[in-house]
Formats: sequence, C-alpha cells, structure tokens
Amino acid sequence: METVRLALEAMATRFELVLHGDDAVRLRAAGEEALAEIKRLEAQLSFYRPSSEISRINAQAADGPVRVEPRLFRLLQTARRLHDETGGVFDLTIAPLMRCWGFVNDTGHLPDTEVLAEARRRTGMHLLTLDEAAFTVAFARPGVQLDLGAIGKGYAIEEAAQTLTDAGVESAFLHGGTSTIHAIGTPPDEESWNVAVSYPDASTDTPTNDDVLAVVPLANEALSVSAVWGKAFVADGTTYGHVIDPRSGRPVEGALLAAAAGPSAMICDALSTALLVLGREAKERIGHFSDIMRAMVVCPADETDGFEMIEAGIPAFQDVKRET
Amino acid sequence: MDNTNPTPDQSGSSTVSRRTFLKKSTLVPLAGLSGMVEIKPAPLPKRIMTPPDARDTVNCALIGFGQWGRELASTLARIPEANLAAVCDNYEVMLRRAQRDVPQASTHTDYREVLDNPDIQAVLIATPTHQHRTIALDALAAGKNVYCEAPMASTIDDAKAMAQAARDASNQIFQVGQIYRSNPQHRSVFQFIRSGAVGTPTMARAQWHAKQSWRRTSPNRQRERDLNWRLDADVSTGLMGEVGLHQLDVAFWILGALPTAVTGFGQTMLWDDGRQVPDTVQAVFEFPNGMHLLYDATLASSYDDAYELFFGSDSTIIFRDRGKAWMFKEVDAPLLGWEVYARKDKFYKETGIALLANATQLDAQNQDPTEDDPNVETPLWYALKDFMDNHAFGPYPPAADYQRGYEAAVVAIKANEAINQNTKLTFDEAWFSLD
Repeated sequence: METVRLALEAMATRFELVLHGDDAVRLRAAGEEALAEIKRLEAQLSFYRPSSEISRINAQAADGPVRVEPRLFRLLQTARRLHDETGGVFDLTIAPLMRCWGFVNDTGHLPDTEVLAEARRRTGMHLLTLDEAAFTVAFARPGVQLDLGAIGKGYAIEEAAQTLTDAGVESAFLHGGTSTIHAIGTPPDEESWNVAVSYPDASTDTPTNDDVLAVVPLANEALSVSAVWGKAFVADGTTYGHVIDPRSGRPVEGALLAAAAGPSAMICDALSTALLVLGREAKERIGHFSDIMRAMVVCPADETDGFEMIEAGIPAFQDVKRET
Repeated sequence: MDNTNPTPDQSGSSTVSRRTFLKKSTLVPLAGLSGMVEIKPAPLPKRIMTPPDARDTVNCALIGFGQWGRELASTLARIPEANLAAVCDNYEVMLRRAQRDVPQASTHTDYREVLDNPDIQAVLIATPTHQHRTIALDALAAGKNVYCEAPMASTIDDAKAMAQAARDASNQIFQVGQIYRSNPQHRSVFQFIRSGAVGTPTMARAQWHAKQSWRRTSPNRQRERDLNWRLDADVSTGLMGEVGLHQLDVAFWILGALPTAVTGFGQTMLWDDGRQVPDTVQAVFEFPNGMHLLYDATLASSYDDAYELFFGSDSTIIFRDRGKAWMFKEVDAPLLGWEVYARKDKFYKETGIALLANATQLDAQNQDPTEDDPNVETPLWYALKDFMDNHAFGPYPPAADYQRGYEAAVVAIKANEAINQNTKLTFDEAWFSLD
C-alpha cells in the first residue's frame, strides 16, 4: 500500500490531500488533476480577481442578465435553496454589510445609519434573478455583490473529490484550510477517517486530548467546521457580536463553533456558516435542513465562561467543559 | 477594439492636469525613475457586452472534453454569441460529464455526426495534438469553421496538410489556439514595443515552471494510455510543443521574426517513472538580427512560475500573471512622460511600472485608469470571442491564422527534436513554406 501527499495554495488557504492505493504514480496523477480542478474553480469564483466569472457578474449583472457557466448557475440555485431553508441566514450577498460593519480585515465598528441602510438595500438573495432557461443571473439594483466565500471552498472540494472518484481513487482525504473536508473511502485497515474537532479556544499548535471537543468518523462523507474569526466589539456601551446576521443586517453573538457533516462538502460548508449565525436558534432550525446528516453547534454558556453544546448527530468526545 | 499604442503626452504643457493627461495617453505606465510599469488592456467596447440577437448566435461543436476542452466549454458559456450545441468525446465518462456541465448540448462518441449536422457552424478541436489533423481536415471538408487547439499538429507533415487545407478553404474561418494573439494586453504591448519603447532590443527570455508529473490516470487502462499522450515520445511534442509554443508565438510576434536555429537540451530530473519525454528542457533560439531567445521549462519546480521577458537598451518588458505586463526602465532612458502617473509594483529589488492600455476609456467610464480593469477577461475568452466575431463580421484572417499556427508548430516540433537529441538544428526557410 502506497501513500501520496499533495498540497496546493489556493482560495487564500492551503489544501492538502492524502491518497492511499497500490500505485503511487497513478495516485499522484489523480491528485494533481483534483488540485488542478480547485485552481480552475478559484479562477472562476474569486471575488477579488477581475477576470473571474464572479467579478464579471458583480460588474455587469445590475445592467442586465449575465450568462454564466451552467455548473456555476446550479451552485447559485443551491445557494438560493439553502437561503430559504435557513430562513435567510445563509446569504451570498452580504459583502456590502460585511464592509460597512468593518468585518473585512478589521475587528468591526459601528456604521453610520445611512451607510447601514444603503448596505441593507443591497443585501438579500431576493435581489438575484436566476433564469434557468437562459442560465443567466441578474441583480435587481446596482451595488449588489455575490461573494462565494461561504460556499466556494466546499464546492471546490466536492468537485475535486468527484475528480478523484472518477479517476478510480478509493481511499483519500482532502481538506481546505482544515475547515472543510471530504473523505473518500476509509484509510487502509480502518473503519473511517477520524477527524478531531478542537474546542474554540484550544491551541491548535500542540493539541492534547483535553482540547478535543468531538471526534467525527467519516467514510465517503464531508465535514465542515466554522468558527468565529473575530472578536466582538463594544461601541456606545453595546456589545456587538462576531458574525453578521443577514436577516437583521447586524452582528450577533451566534455560536462559537458549528460543524456539519453530510454527503456534500459544498452544502456542509454553507450550512456550518449558517449554524454559526443561528447559534442557539439552530435547535429549532436544523430540522428544516434537508441535506446535512449530522451537526453540532457550540455556544457560549449563559451563566459561566464555559460552553453549551447543541448535538444533532455529532456527540461530544467527552463531557463538555462547563468552566474554562 | 482599440489597441492604440501607448503614447506619452504630446501637449508639452507643464500645466496639464492629471486627468487630462491620462485622457491623452492610452497606456498609463512608467516611473521616470528607474522602474517598471504594468501594462494594462483596454476595457471592452460596449458592443461586446451587449447580448446579440438570436440570429447572431453561432452553433458550436466541441470535439474533445478533457481538461482543456472543459475550459473551452466554460469559457464559451460566458460568450453571448456562442451556443455550445454538441460535445464529442470517444470516452463515455467524459460525455456523462458533458451532460452535467453543458446540459443544453447533445453528446456524441463519433465526431462525424456533428460534421454531418448542417446546423453546426463551428467546430472546436481540443483532442490530443496528434489527432487534430484528421478531425480538422474532415471539418474543413464539411464546410465548418474551425478553431483548432495549439500546437495545431505534432508533425510538420500534419501541420502543413492542415494549413494548406485552411488556405484553400478561403471562405471558412480557421483559427489556431495561440490565444495571446487575441489578448488586448498583448496587442497593446506589441505596439508599445514596436514603437521603440524598449530602445534597442537585445535579448529575450521565457520560462514555464510547474511542479507536476504531467501524468494522467483512469480506472480504464486503455483510457489511461490514451490520456498520457503527452508522455508518449512517439506522438508528443513535449514541453516545447504543449506549453512553450504559446510563449514562442508571443516572441515571434513581438520580435517580428522567426528563428534561424535552435539548440536544445532535455533531461528527466524528477519524474523518473520510465517516461521518454524530458521533464526539464532548455533551448536557445537564434534570430536573423543576431538576437537570442533563451527558453526553459520544467515539471520539477514551480519557482517563479511562467513569464516572457523582452530586454532592450532603454527598458525591459515582462508579461506574467495571466497576461499582465510591466516595464522596467533603465536610469538613463528617455522620460516618456506618462510613467510618472503610472502604478508601480515591487518585484524583489526592482520596481515595475504597470502598463495599462486604453486608460482613456477607463477614465471615460469613471474608473481609475491605474487600477485593474474590472471588465477584464481571460486570454482564452478573448481568443474565442475573436472566433465568434469572425462569424458575424468575417470571414477575415484571424490573428492566429493557419500561417501563424503552422510557423509556431514547425518551430516547436523542430525545437523538440533538438531537445530530444541535445543538438543544434538550423532552420531551413523552406520548412515555413506551404508550397
């Protein structure tokens, strides 16, 4: 049994791939093709690259329908369905809100009332018209922007995993930035790929057993973990949370960490983000999600500095820390 | 498409405002200090962004749905005039993929079916290089317009037969996939260099570096053998043909000449898996005026990616990063004027002056002419767009026509020979003749 490892820098993160099989040369060839697919999708989906298809949509879709690649069109249709299932929490149009709250390369600040109102006018999946017969996208007004940051990495991993399967790979593990994962088959002589999810406050340099929040066994399945990336900020005596809730246009406390496992890396990626925004509300909402099979949400505990965990198929590895 | 040469401000006025100044220059580049400037392409004319009437739509068939064929398909999806109506591949798995990726297209294992279909106007050939000849000749004979991937063939005989057929089919379009010929950025810099901006041209250098095995795999062993044609010395044109050709084509265009000789070297330095096609190559091309082009390509290291450099006594120009261009000026070079306002980018110890085509149009659209054009497309998009426009306004000879395709193929095939033999080959002018 041979093992081949490959890596790629793309989408502002590091993708890593481990493959097991009989023939290292063929494994590497399959892995290279999968990583090439991720690079291709980066060029198509990048929010920042002027020649990307997303940039072109953002530049032109307010002027009229823009024809897009059919696969990207289906991705946008899926995003719209997820928007509906999450009650509007998953939203690809929140870039203007993120910017006005200073959540892009910043810790956040209170926006001017008019600036916030303008950003809210530009936000919402209802501003997107998808014409299935013509594969076109149109925006209802200028200033709307699509940012696939919350789904693009999962989509790329899903497509790359499909490439591996098409090439005959039967055992492989692919992740992007350690947050979205797709596992093909199982490792040799094992029942599953076992992924440890660490506590939101754990040191990731030298994790120990105490840092492990959950262990998720995966076989032909994807997992995505979202965690808060910034700190809450205080302005005028009010504490503002970690993530933007597209429904209110305001930051909310949400959850500290959310994980979703299921057959599709793309959907896990999107829904782990949505669960993070939902926080405790996830308890009521999660029943409406048609795709994920297992999930877990970690919120700050009410009374203590510890954590409260909502389990939906992903159990805690050990007693959840109530105190830190 | 406006490809006006970048020119310095001609007014001579010292009070000209920056905005007026930018309006007068089509390229916004260069620092007056020693440095480098990025050269940028034009924004699209409005015509290009306007979806045409249905009658202007071109029904296309794509032959070959491998990695590059899929790239062609996804690019065609973004060109309003293109209707990808059929996909051909001799491997069922690829056709199933086509049904998913291009749901509106019919799928065929035999490409002759689409040649027999009178509704198909254009055929795009993205099969392995050594299969181009038969398909291209059949497509031309069937009256189709043809876009053929580069290199157009793997042998000079094949390339010549195709070029002759294309020449004789003068009412049909035959465009070769030497995509930089259609790229607004390259067109703009071409004129810039031809206007003398680099001073005396002295040398050229190009490289293509990647770390990848070039091997492909499939659960089907016959399919796997077919997929690995690039590593089959009997049919492959090697790194020089499959990647170097595009860079050579840019050099021939910019330098305005074809080489007179090539000395090549090839080694297998990393992927020692039984392959006969070198994973690392170097070649020196000699040009009629005595100038040399140094080229190297490797599959063993990704260091510094790919670029083409044109050295001159006043400045050096580099193309890199998907068609962008910068200029590095000598300290004693004449002041062009506009470089003072251009964007500068750091390149290790050098400062590059960003060369931007058609700042006038960007300025007219209230976009900062020193920023990247928000409407820029990929070089492949411009090449396919040219092909589509030729249906509406042509047929006229494409920028990458059969002659350019043939010349580049001859050079790449001969350079590959020199590499495989570690020897020097002198080009016979007759090799470039189609008679």
